[in-house]
Amino acid sequence: MTTSSTSGPAPGHRAAAPERLERDAPGPDSKNRPAWSAGALRLDRFSGLYLAVVLVVVFSVMLPDTFGTMDNARVIAASSAIAGILTLSVALSMAAGTFDISLAANMTFSICLLGALLTRGDLAWPVAVSLTIVAGALVGAVNAFVITRFGVEAIVATLGMSSVLAALSFWVSDGQTVLISDAGPSFADAGQSTIASVPITVFYLAAVAIALWFVLEHTPFGRYLYAIGSNPQAAKLAGIKVQRLQSLSLMITGALAALAGVILTMQLGAASFGAGAPYLLPAFAATFLGSTQILPGRFNVRGTIVALYLLAIAVKGLQLQFPDLPWIKDLVEGSVLIVAVSITARAISRRSTR
Amino acid sequence: MEAEGQARLQLAGVSKTFGAVRVLDDVSLDIAAGEVHALVGQNGSGKSTLIKVLAGFYQADPGATAVIDGAPRELGDPNDIHAAGVRFVHQDLGLVPALSVVDNLALGHGYARSQGMRINWREQRAAARRALAAVGYELDVRRLVDDLQPVERTAVAIARALQSAHGEMSILVLDEPTATMPKGEVQRLVQIVRAVRSRGVGVLYVSHHLEEVFELADRVTVLVDGQRVGTERCSQIDHKKLVTMMTGGVVDDVRRRAVGTRGKTMLSLERLSGAELTGLDLQVRAGEVVGVAGITGSGREEICSLVFGSKPRRGTVTVGDRELPPSRPDRSCRAGLALVPANRLRDGVVIGLNVRENLNITTTRGLAKFSFIRPGLDRRQAAALGTKMSVKAPSLDASIEALSGGNQQKVVLGKWLQTNPSVLLLDEPTQGVDISAKAEIHRLIDDAVSQGLAVLVCSSDEAELERLCDRVVVLREGRAVAEVAAPDIRTRQLIHLSLGLTA
Ligand SMILES: Nc1ncnc2c1ncn2[C@@H]1O[C@H](COP(=O)(O)OP(=O)(O)OP(=O)(O)O)[C@@H](O)[C@H]1O
Ligand SMILES: [Mg+2]
Repeated sequence: MTTSSTSGPAPGHRAAAPERLERDAPGPDSKNRPAWSAGALRLDRFSGLYLAVVLVVVFSVMLPDTFGTMDNARVIAASSAIAGILTLSVALSMAAGTFDISLAANMTFSICLLGALLTRGDLAWPVAVSLTIVAGALVGAVNAFVITRFGVEAIVATLGMSSVLAALSFWVSDGQTVLISDAGPSFADAGQSTIASVPITVFYLAAVAIALWFVLEHTPFGRYLYAIGSNPQAAKLAGIKVQRLQSLSLMITGALAALAGVILTMQLGAASFGAGAPYLLPAFAATFLGSTQILPGRFNVRGTIVALYLLAIAVKGLQLQFPDLPWIKDLVEGSVLIVAVSITARAISRRSTR
Repeated sequence: MEAEGQARLQLAGVSKTFGAVRVLDDVSLDIAAGEVHALVGQNGSGKSTLIKVLAGFYQADPGATAVIDGAPRELGDPNDIHAAGVRFVHQDLGLVPALSVVDNLALGHGYARSQGMRINWREQRAAARRALAAVGYELDVRRLVDDLQPVERTAVAIARALQSAHGEMSILVLDEPTATMPKGEVQRLVQIVRAVRSRGVGVLYVSHHLEEVFELADRVTVLVDGQRVGTERCSQIDHKKLVTMMTGGVVDDVRRRAVGTRGKTMLSLERLSGAELTGLDLQVRAGEVVGVAGITGSGREEICSLVFGSKPRRGTVTVGDRELPPSRPDRSCRAGLALVPANRLRDGVVIGLNVRENLNITTTRGLAKFSFIRPGLDRRQAAALGTKMSVKAPSLDASIEALSGGNQQKVVLGKWLQTNPSVLLLDEPTQGVDISAKAEIHRLIDDAVSQGLAVLVCSSDEAELERLCDRVVVLREGRAVAEVAAPDIRTRQLIHLSLGLTA
C-alpha cells in the first residue's frame, strides 16, 4: 500500500509550470539538504525504507526457516495492521499539534463496548460496530471539548480520560474477556479471512492509510491541520478555525482508535479486556520515527507506514533470533521512541537557533 | 581603501553555500575603531547571512578568515567571537520568546545573586529597567518577550548587547534595528550608536533606510546577490549613486493614485478600546487609505490586532454593514477583512510550511475541487503570486525560514492581497523590505485601492504614510490627537505631532 501512495504529489507537475521561482534551484528541497544526503539515494527521506529492506534480507539469510517464510510475512503484515491503524490515529493528532494519550484506553473501551453490545445487546453486528465507532468519536469529542474550551493541556486532559475510560471499560465488561460466538460467521470472516492469501486486516490498514494520506496531503483540511500544528497563532490569523479543526482531528482520531479495537475483536473472535494498552508505546514510537521519513519534519502517513513496518520487521526478526529474550520487543520499541524523538527535537532546535 | 585607525574587525574571503545556492561569494569587510560601517543591499542579498556567519550560527565555506583587534579568531565558534567582544542585535532572533525580559537580559550576562545561589530578583529587575532606560524604553520587565511588540524586542536586544559589554565591546552589529521604529525613536538610537562609537567600538549597521546610512555611517558596503560590489565613503557618494549600486537602476516611488474616488464607508470603528487604546472613532471608505501614526506605546501597534479580533477589545467594529464579533479572526476573514501583522515570525508566516503552502494558505479552499487540492493549480498560483510580489526564494518548496526577512514579508503581504479583501489592515507592511520592493508594494497597494479597497495602515515609517495615505490620524497616549489630510501630509509634521511637539 505504500507504493500506491508514493506516486502522489508534486513530481509530475513540476516540469510543466512556467515558474520563475523554479529556475534558481535544481530540485525541490535542494536548499536544506544536509551534505550526507546528497546523491540519488535521498537518505534523508528514505533511510527507513532502505533499512527495512536490509533487515529483511539479513534476517531471511540468518533465519531461512522461521523468518524467511511466507507465513512469517503474513504474521508481520497482519499483526502490524491493527497497530498501524492506531499509529495513524496518533500521527493525525500530532499533525494538528494536539496529543491524545487516551487512544489505547479508547481502543480497550471500544473492545469492551463491542463485546457487551454483541453478547448482551442482541444487535446485528454491523450496527454494534457502527455504534462502537461513534462512541470512539464521542470520546475524542469530549477530549477536544476539555482541551479547546477549558484550555487544559492535551497531555493532562487525555491522561485523565485514559483513567476514566479504564473505569468505563471495566464497568461495561465486568473486567471479563468474552467470547463472541453468536455474531454469526460473517463477523469472524470480517477479521480473519484472507484475500489472495493476504490477511484482510492489511486491507483495512491500506484503506485507512490511503484515506488519511489523501486528507492530509491533498485537501485544504489537511493543509490547515499542518498549519495549525506548526504555528497555531499564525494559522488563526490566516482565518483558520483552529479550535474547530483540532476538535475534528481529535474526533477522527478517536474513531480510528475504536476501529482498531473493532478489528482486533473481529480477528480474535473475542472481546479481550485490556487488549489496547500494549499498543500505545509502539504507536508513539512509530509515529515519531515516521516523522523523520519521506517528508522529514512532518507527521506524515507514508513515513508512518514505513516506520511501522520497519519496527515490526526488526522486532520480529530479533524475537526469532533470540527466542529466550522476551524483553527484546520492549527494548527495541522504547529505544526507537527515544532515538526518534531526539532526532525530531534536534531538527526543531536547529531550526529555531538559525 | 583603508580607514584611518587600526582595524578592529577584518573579515576576508567569506563565502556561504546552502545546498547548491551560493548566498555569499568571497565577501571581505573591515571596520576601523570608532567607525560606523553600513551594510546595505536588497532583500536576500546576504546581509544577515554574513552577520550570522560572523556570529557563528552558520559555518562559512572554507577559506574565510576573521581578525579581531589584530588576533585571528575562529569563524563558526560563537564563544570565541563573543570572547572577542563582538555583540549582536540580530534581525529575527537572539531572544528567547518564552522567557521574560528580565531573563533575556540576564542571559549571557549573569544574574545578580544575593547570598549564595539565590537570585536577587528585585536587584535583577531594577538592573533590567536601567538597561532599558539607557536605550530610552520603559516596559514591564516581567512580560514575556513573546508578548512584546517588534520594536520593544529590538530595544531589549539592543539593551542586552550594550549591557553585556562594559568596556570590552569591540564590535557592535545591528541588523535592521529600525525596521519598525518611528523616526523619533530612530533619533534616539542614532545618539546611542554615536556614544558607542565614541568609545572606539566599531559598528556594523544594516538598514534599508538609506537616510540613516548617510546620517550615521562613515563608510558603506553594498552587497548584490552575495557579492560585494563596492565599499564607499559616505561623504563621497550620494543617495542616488548608492541606490544605483544596489539596484542597478533608479527607483521612483511616486504616488500615482488620484485622490477623491471614494465609495461608501467600508470600515467603521466606534469607541474602540483595548490595550493602550482608549475610545477611537475612525471610518475608512472604499478607495481610501487611512494611516495611523504614533510613537511606540501610543496605541498604534494595537489597532490592527484589535480590529481583526486577535486581541480582546471593547467598542464596535463594522465592516460594510455587518458588525464583527470580538476575538473571532475567522469571522473577520470571512467578512472581507485581511491583516498583515507586524510580528512576522509569530503571526505572519507559518514556520513548518513551505513557501508555496504559505503563499496559498488563505486561498487553499479555492484550489480544491471536490476537496482535492489540484497540485498544478497550487503550484501555478503560488508561482504567479511569488513573481508578482517579486519574492526571491531558492524554490517554491523551500522552507519559509530559508527566505530572507524582507522576502518573508512579501509572502505575508501577497497571501492577503490575493484574497481580494474589501478592507486591508496593514501593520508595518514594508518592514525590512528593500527600497525597490517597497516601491513595488506601494504600487500594488495603490492599484488595489483604486479598485475600491479600503486600507488602514499603521506604520512607524512616517515617510511611508506620507506616500500612501489620503488621511493620517496621529495617536498619542491611546487617543487620536490630530488628523491630517492629503495633500498636506508631511513626514516632519507627523513626527512632531506624534511626539507632542508643536509643528
Ligand atoms: N537556511 C537557508 N537555506 C537556504 N537558503 C537560505 C537560508 N538562509 C538564507 N538563505 C538564502 O540566502 C539569501 C540571503 O539571505 P539573507 O537573510 O542573508 O538576506 P538579507 O540580505 O539579510 O535580506 P533582508 O534584507 O530581506 O533581510 C536569500 O536568498 C535566502 O533565500
Ligand atoms: Mg536580513
